[in-house]
Amino acid sequence: MLAILAWRNVWRHKGRSAVVIGAMVVGIWSLTFGAAFMNSFLLSYIETSIRHDVSNGQIHHPEFTKDFDIKFTIAEPERIVRFLEENESVAHVARRSIVNGMIASSRQATGVKIVGVEPAEESRVTLLDSLISEGSYFEGVTGHPVLLGRRLSEKLKVGLKSKIVLTFQDVEGNITAGSFRVAGILDASSTTIDEGSAFVLREDLNRLLGIRDAVHEIAYTTFPGTEDDVLASQVQAAFPNEMVRSWHDLSPLLVFMEQWMGAILQMLIVIIMLALAFGIVNTMLMAVLERVREVGVMIALGTRRGRVFLMIVIETLFLSTAGGPVGLLAGYLTISWLGKRGIDLSDYSEGLKSIGYESVLHPQLFPSDYVTIVIGVLITAILASLYPAWKAIRMQPVDAIRGV
Amino acid sequence: MAALIKATNITKVYHKTSVPVHAINNLSVEIAEGEFTAIVGPSGCGKTTLLNILGGLDQPTSGTVMIDGVDISRMKDSDLIDFRLHNIGFVFQAYNLIPVLTALENIEFIMLLQKRSRKERVARAKELLEQMNIADKADHRPGELSGGQQQRVAVARALASNPRFILADEPTANLDSVSTENLLDLMARINREQKATFIFSTHDQRVMDKARRLIRLVDGAIVSDDVRS
Ligand SMILES: Nc1ncnc2c1ncn2[C@@H]1O[C@H](COP(=O)(O)OP(=O)(O)OP(=O)(O)O)[C@@H](O)[C@H]1O
Ligand SMILES: [Mg+2]
Repeated sequence: MLAILAWRNVWRHKGRSAVVIGAMVVGIWSLTFGAAFMNSFLLSYIETSIRHDVSNGQIHHPEFTKDFDIKFTIAEPERIVRFLEENESVAHVARRSIVNGMIASSRQATGVKIVGVEPAEESRVTLLDSLISEGSYFEGVTGHPVLLGRRLSEKLKVGLKSKIVLTFQDVEGNITAGSFRVAGILDASSTTIDEGSAFVLREDLNRLLGIRDAVHEIAYTTFPGTEDDVLASQVQAAFPNEMVRSWHDLSPLLVFMEQWMGAILQMLIVIIMLALAFGIVNTMLMAVLERVREVGVMIALGTRRGRVFLMIVIETLFLSTAGGPVGLLAGYLTISWLGKRGIDLSDYSEGLKSIGYESVLHPQLFPSDYVTIVIGVLITAILASLYPAWKAIRMQPVDAIRGV
Repeated sequence: MAALIKATNITKVYHKTSVPVHAINNLSVEIAEGEFTAIVGPSGCGKTTLLNILGGLDQPTSGTVMIDGVDISRMKDSDLIDFRLHNIGFVFQAYNLIPVLTALENIEFIMLLQKRSRKERVARAKELLEQMNIADKADHRPGELSGGQQQRVAVARALASNPRFILADEPTANLDSVSTENLLDLMARINREQKATFIFSTHDQRVMDKARRLIRLVDGAIVSDDVRS
């Protein structure tokens, strides 16, 4: 009956309660949507980075990762590739050779990371071919093809089919150079690709380096739902002499961003719920103060103060959570609709792209986030109920009945 | 026979103003089971204060109140709340029903606090509404009832807990003469038929005429105490 009493008390002032409930609906909706929208920024960044840059995992010679010394190649690349291809979590594998060097056109020169790739493998692992905006994917030129990011090509003032020279040290320490022709220009959101990398055929690079069929880096992608850390340690166990890392280890920034998603939601909850809590406390205080006599009579008749306290807490919970389902549903629908449709930010995307975001965002929230929101609302309601409930139980029945 | 209520040398002093107010002044009184007693006197003579002290709503500055041999004048607040629930029925001048509960639920409420079963609660509440001639209003909320009807629900509520006695502070002050007569007749009948003890205060001569014992107060002291046949 305490609950019935509390529920009916909520509706004594329909208008007043409706305002609070409405505010909760809007608050929870904006919380849900706001968190999902901000999540989508981070998720988009994380996904883009994994997709086009770090992949789900990479394997190197442990020494190679320190300063990219080309003599530290992977011992048995073919065995590792076979091992990965046989693993059912692994989608695709790509082998690479890597050296840091100089890139020079007839007008300019700059430092660059030179990556030797297997075109077919690379198109499956990093979708490198999808970034081609001009020219073609390692085709259409006589001689050795190279792919450059747009920014780099502009810096070097080169276009399609222009000749460029790559200079670096070979495995014996001699300076060596090779001339290449620009086969394609890449439009990438990642700055590393856009202005810091030159992609060539692995066979061309290996010949110049004098390392025959050696491999510096093996990158692999996994199917959705794979525990990348678990897989990485399995591979590591199979090849203890190499260094196997999942994207978590490869990019601390991505891990940080992943953690931020949770933090953003919690921050939003605190900010929005704090604002709403004032409204709830205010409404409940009014409700308690205008019911002084009624509460006094309840105590006079023999209602323990604990029960009165509980009644006010329940009433506050009803008031604060009545709008919850509607707010959550509204948030959920908005998110699923926008999640499917995507929010096109291409008007602003020049700026966004330069810092690594896709221009179409897909807001999303994880089931656990909804749970967090529900818990946040409940905690808010309980905290907001304490002061009014405390006020209510401090009443003395004699005073209340006399109407003091 | 031992008294149901035995108040000895009770005094109540209020210190709210610069001059202390002696609302009750060294008053002793005994009430026996089955009485139908009116406390009367001019405004400010201490009727409400006395009833509040006898009902354990207020504590005397000095003196003791024994109910069935239990001293309630020094009981701690939470014990007193339980004591009131099981031993004392209250009827207030302003009815003071819980507005969001129906007549039936208002009566049930007090039995719920006593942790009685739902079946028992509903049966007893219906029986009481019957006795108070308002069975047809069981599902109405107080706002939909007249003052007389509300006060009859309030009496039913006071009886529902099977208290040792019922205190009513000016129960008819807000009622017209027909409702007053009606309510008093019902109370008198229940007193006769069920031996329920009633103690009420009043200003109304017709109410005093129905009482079987009349205690008159002036300045917080008893000036006359008449038992009539
Ligand atoms: N809470 C209080 N603080 C200070 N003085 C009080 C308080 N309650 C009552 N009094 C004083 O105590 C005296 C007795 O008051 P009480 O209400 O008992 O009188 P009463 O006989 O019920 O009067 P009425 O017939 O007007 O209801 C009065 O002088 C009143 O002013
Ligand atoms: Mg009075």
